[in-house]
Amino acid sequence: MAKTTDIANVLEVAPASVTQMLHKLCRQGYVKHEPYRGTILSRRGRRIARRIARKHRLLERFLSDMIGIEPEDGHDQACRMEHALSNEAEEALCKMMNHPATCPNGKRIPKCERGIPCEDCTRKALKLSDVDEGRTATISHLVSKDKDELCRTLAMGLVPGATVTVEKKMPLGGPIIVNLKGTRVAIARSIGDALRMVEAA
Amino acid sequence: MEIFLAGTPNVGKSVIFSKLTGIGVISANYPGTTVEFSEGEVKFGQMTIDVVDLPGTYSLSGNSDEERVATNLLFHRRPDSVVLVADATRLERSLVLAFELIESGYNVVVALNMYDLAVKSGLKIDISALEESLMTSVVPTVAVRGEGVDSLLREAIRLRPKSAFRVRYDSHTEEIISELVSMMETSEWDFPIRAVAVRILMGDRAVREKAGRQITEAADSLAMDFERRHQESIESHIQRDRFGEAGRIAAEIISPIDSAERGRKTVSDITLNPITGIPILVAVLATVFLILVFGGGFIETLLVDSYEGVAEGFFDDAKSGASPLVQGVLDGVYISIEAMLAIVIPYILVFYLILSVLEDTGYLVRVVSLLDGIMHRMGLHGRAVIPMVVGYGCNIPALLATRTMGSKRERIILAVLITIAIPCSAQTAIIIGALGNYSGAEWALLIFAILILLLGLLGFALHKTIRFEASQLLLEVPELRRPTLSQTLRKTGIRIGEFLTIAFPLLLVGSIILEVMMAEGILQRLVDPAEPFMTGVLGLPAVAVIALVFGILRKEMALQMLIVLFGTSDLSVALDAQQMFVFALVMAIFMPCIAALAVLVREFGVKDAAAITAASIALALTFGAVANLVL
Repeated sequence: MAKTTDIANVLEVAPASVTQMLHKLCRQGYVKHEPYRGTILSRRGRRIARRIARKHRLLERFLSDMIGIEPEDGHDQACRMEHALSNEAEEALCKMMNHPATCPNGKRIPKCERGIPCEDCTRKALKLSDVDEGRTATISHLVSKDKDELCRTLAMGLVPGATVTVEKKMPLGGPIIVNLKGTRVAIARSIGDALRMVEAA
Repeated sequence: MEIFLAGTPNVGKSVIFSKLTGIGVISANYPGTTVEFSEGEVKFGQMTIDVVDLPGTYSLSGNSDEERVATNLLFHRRPDSVVLVADATRLERSLVLAFELIESGYNVVVALNMYDLAVKSGLKIDISALEESLMTSVVPTVAVRGEGVDSLLREAIRLRPKSAFRVRYDSHTEEIISELVSMMETSEWDFPIRAVAVRILMGDRAVREKAGRQITEAADSLAMDFERRHQESIESHIQRDRFGEAGRIAAEIISPIDSAERGRKTVSDITLNPITGIPILVAVLATVFLILVFGGGFIETLLVDSYEGVAEGFFDDAKSGASPLVQGVLDGVYISIEAMLAIVIPYILVFYLILSVLEDTGYLVRVVSLLDGIMHRMGLHGRAVIPMVVGYGCNIPALLATRTMGSKRERIILAVLITIAIPCSAQTAIIIGALGNYSGAEWALLIFAILILLLGLLGFALHKTIRFEASQLLLEVPELRRPTLSQTLRKTGIRIGEFLTIAFPLLLVGSIILEVMMAEGILQRLVDPAEPFMTGVLGLPAVAVIALVFGILRKEMALQMLIVLFGTSDLSVALDAQQMFVFALVMAIFMPCIAALAVLVREFGVKDAAAITAASIALALTFGAVANLVL
């Protein structure tokens, strides 16, 4: 239950404006208002709030991890960006960062509403051998368990975000020949299986 | 003063090294040509500068055997300056290694090699902008023509402040780095402490060892926490940020922009498409075989005939009236030279010419990719093809090249296959020069068929007995290049030169000793005890045992000794086709020569070397006996 005055304080607006807006939201079914006790989000309202919080925290994660923005700055910017982010972009962001569980301040990131467990979503990312010859795909992440092999793969330039075009898959379980920024690289199938790919649309 | 040449594989470090020091080093168009470092000197004014050519490495924290050669040297020897040889046509990859070197506090100068190719493909590289970004000197070079090498040297020895360029990693990684930095003492390290922290996180074994358990455990728990929170390893993040930075710099300094797109396209390559590639491979192998048999045979006849025409009279004159001892020595000299002309020059020279062309075109890497699937059934990956092909020339570089394999067990399997089932050029000379020439090409082909079958079976059997997961192929495939005549000749020259300086004196001494022993009648007494086995089991004349024993010194000497023993280079007089076949087969499988044995001991230890040798002798004699029974 949130009191009208508390909301007014956080948003730094007049209590009268809050009351007016709450009435409107109440009419549209997003909040429930109980006189003298306060306001609470309806089921519909909670869904939207969860979605916004999810977008907000994913954005914070992105700003801090991928481009190194300070957490406070990241929070302020995420507050503005969260409303502009499409659902599609939200989903891609979540996949790209490999389904982060918390925001940089440690708050839980709500799960998406697609109703499938994250593991399945991860598995949906293609392995290199699933990418057809002639197709281009981007590495989303690597799942190698062997540290030396992981480092070898990374040092070759097969890093998250790198784009490769599959040129040829050699028969008899032979390597996959890809074009990585103009360099041909022969990648054994098992190393290719450690690369999770997202195909370009 | 000491300068290191570092860089990713196949960018031309060895070529620059040759141009600087005048020392001939073998280079080729495939990654991993250099597995040992070479050292040389260059005079500059009054200074003598040590130059070290490192094997190619993609990163400072690589843990494979070949990469460790480079990283260990860099770690322990702290050179005054490091020349990072970069491929101007693929700058990003080289930049990442440059970042690592700069981060680790080396005084780095960048050689922008293959600059002509970059210009030719329409790339404009803003060199001063690159210098500004990296905060160090960048010198464009065209190593194969020696362009820019002098100014590179001048830059490398010039005193300059170390570059302050640092890659900034993502905020969480930076946090972990600062935490580790605060736990360590700067004074204990020759490296910037930040680099130490990063390299511990990247799993660099040398650095971790020096850092001690407390720090590495702290680093591991931080890294584990990182992985738990991001579901992604910290190594991935570090490398991703390095490549990201490299991409950003490359985009800023390379124009026109669309050239980046153009660079992404590679010419379609029929040698890489299995449908066309396999027939091409078969055709290439057949051509090599035919050139060896007919080309080598033709040169041999030419050389031996003219040698006999010129030298026979001369030696006969010198021999007349001399004591039996002097006559023996003279015969030894005469026959050694003839043996050299009959074997080394024709077959080994021709083989090295062919190998050089195959190497420089970059075709071998295609073979690697094509055969990787099959090689896996022998417990190896496709890269094993290169040491094998090199092994057809000489086992020693081939055994060294086994370092490009990931694990010790793979190296051993490969070493066994190379020493037993891959005939080196000297053994090939016996197979083709003796057997092919006197008994017919089909016999020689039969031996090669047996050897390839043996290779497959042996590989398969070893794979089944030594259970392990083969490490996985990850290899850059260079563009096909047209080999240059001068490079081909230079390389063949270096190889033949090495061959002659080691082989000829041995052969000369061996022949003289043999001739003297024959003249004095000692030989017969030594040969007699071996007769029951040689004649009874192998069906060979007893004296052939001498050839087998000398074959241990050097393989080609077996044949040369036969020539010496029978006193003629026309072996068909002394041995019939079957005997020749048995002899060639035994020699092809027989134990490694003394030099190869030394390398085996050094690379694998006495125990494994002895086991490989024993196995090869047993197999050789078994095959010989079976062949004698069947024929």
